[in-house]
Amino acid sequence: MADPMHQFEIQKVLDLPAITLPGIGAIDMSITNSTVAMLLAAALVVLFFAVTTAKAAVVPGRLQVIGEGIFSYIDDLVVGIIGHEGRKFFPYIFTLFVFILAMNVLGLFLVFTATSQLAVTASLAVMTILIVIIYGLMRNGANMYKLFVPAGVPWYMLILVTPIEILSFLLRPVTLALRLFGNMLGGHVALKVFAGFVVSLGALAATGGVASLGYLAAALSLGGVVALTALEFLVAFLQAFVFAVLACVYLNDVVNLGHHH
Amino acid sequence: MAAETPNHAETAGADHGAHASTGTTEVAAHGGGESGGLPQFRMEYWGGQIVWLFLIFAVLYILLAKVFVPRLRKIKDNRAATIADAVNQARSVQAEAEAQAKAAQAEIDEARSRARGLAVEAKAKAAAQLATSQKAEDERLQAQMDEAEARIRGLRDQAMSNVRGIAGETAQAMVEKLTGQKVTAAEIDAALTARAQGAA
Repeated sequence: MADPMHQFEIQKVLDLPAITLPGIGAIDMSITNSTVAMLLAAALVVLFFAVTTAKAAVVPGRLQVIGEGIFSYIDDLVVGIIGHEGRKFFPYIFTLFVFILAMNVLGLFLVFTATSQLAVTASLAVMTILIVIIYGLMRNGANMYKLFVPAGVPWYMLILVTPIEILSFLLRPVTLALRLFGNMLGGHVALKVFAGFVVSLGALAATGGVASLGYLAAALSLGGVVALTALEFLVAFLQAFVFAVLACVYLNDVVNLGHHH
Repeated sequence: MAAETPNHAETAGADHGAHASTGTTEVAAHGGGESGGLPQFRMEYWGGQIVWLFLIFAVLYILLAKVFVPRLRKIKDNRAATIADAVNQARSVQAEAEAQAKAAQAEIDEARSRARGLAVEAKAKAAAQLATSQKAEDERLQAQMDEAEARIRGLRDQAMSNVRGIAGETAQAMVEKLTGQKVTAAEIDAALTARAQGAA
């Protein structure tokens, strides 16, 4: 059986010279299959929106409806969670959503899924949390401590609550990164394992005799692959959506600090 | 792709072989985080992926934020404006139609009242005409009747005077026959007058 982990191997496509970042060291900037997947996803997004907004008709065509639908969906999401101040974060959330969605969906069509790389999901998560922290400090200044000290809680409870709040805040980027990573990894491993069963059980059944029952198992596995693929499309959308929603929720915490709405 | 990077494929294959043979070393390898276990934990590829990701994300963000989001927002605003315009126009047209309908109704009402007035007038005129013509006819008939009555009266009077003459002559003849004396017409006439006066 083919190794289900092989699909996650990074492979160089084009060797490029390494760059040296001060304080970090040399970084190999070679184009890998991961880079290609990210580039393709970004290109797909740009192409999609270039096509859908090209005509800019008042009465939209089919593609324009899809493009506007995604736009409105995220727009409503951002304004719904953060409020009207969320408008300035909309491009970021929108980029996050479409980029992750494109990488997830491309992973179902191509051999490599960029979002199944922890490096990618962790970078997106850390970037999001950094924006939350930096914007929070810029907006609230010293009041940022309120994030960890809920209003109206007696002091003796704060001794308990504050460390929990701090811990949960520190875990946010971790869960954000691992949720997307784990879902993509798990889905693709399961697909590969079931697909491997089809081949190995089919080969076993081909030996004849009692082993012919293997055809039945192989067919079941094939059905499993089909069902899982359908499920993975849902997961691809859902995880992009969840990432965008959580980014909104975390931003909302610092935008509307102290007053819940 | 494998052909381009034979060394990687080989190392990967070697890793897999190691995993298959010893499950415990795999766990140990996971803990180490370097080579082995999930390919995602090979740190030598993290730097490049992260830098590329930020580059691509930045470009995508700029393109979306500066080009596509404003474009999409403009389309939506345009549509909202168009719809609002159309609704306003429809509302004004409706109001106009309502006003026109009201004007037409008023016109109809006016025409109806005018027609009613005309009818009343015509009826009055007809009645007046009828009354005058009837009166003229009545007068004419009355005159005819009066004339006829006068004629009848004349005829009767004539007849009555004739009766007096005849009665006088008859009385003269009867007196002559009975008494054999002649009486004059004047005597008879006087007698008759006296009788008539006495009777009256």
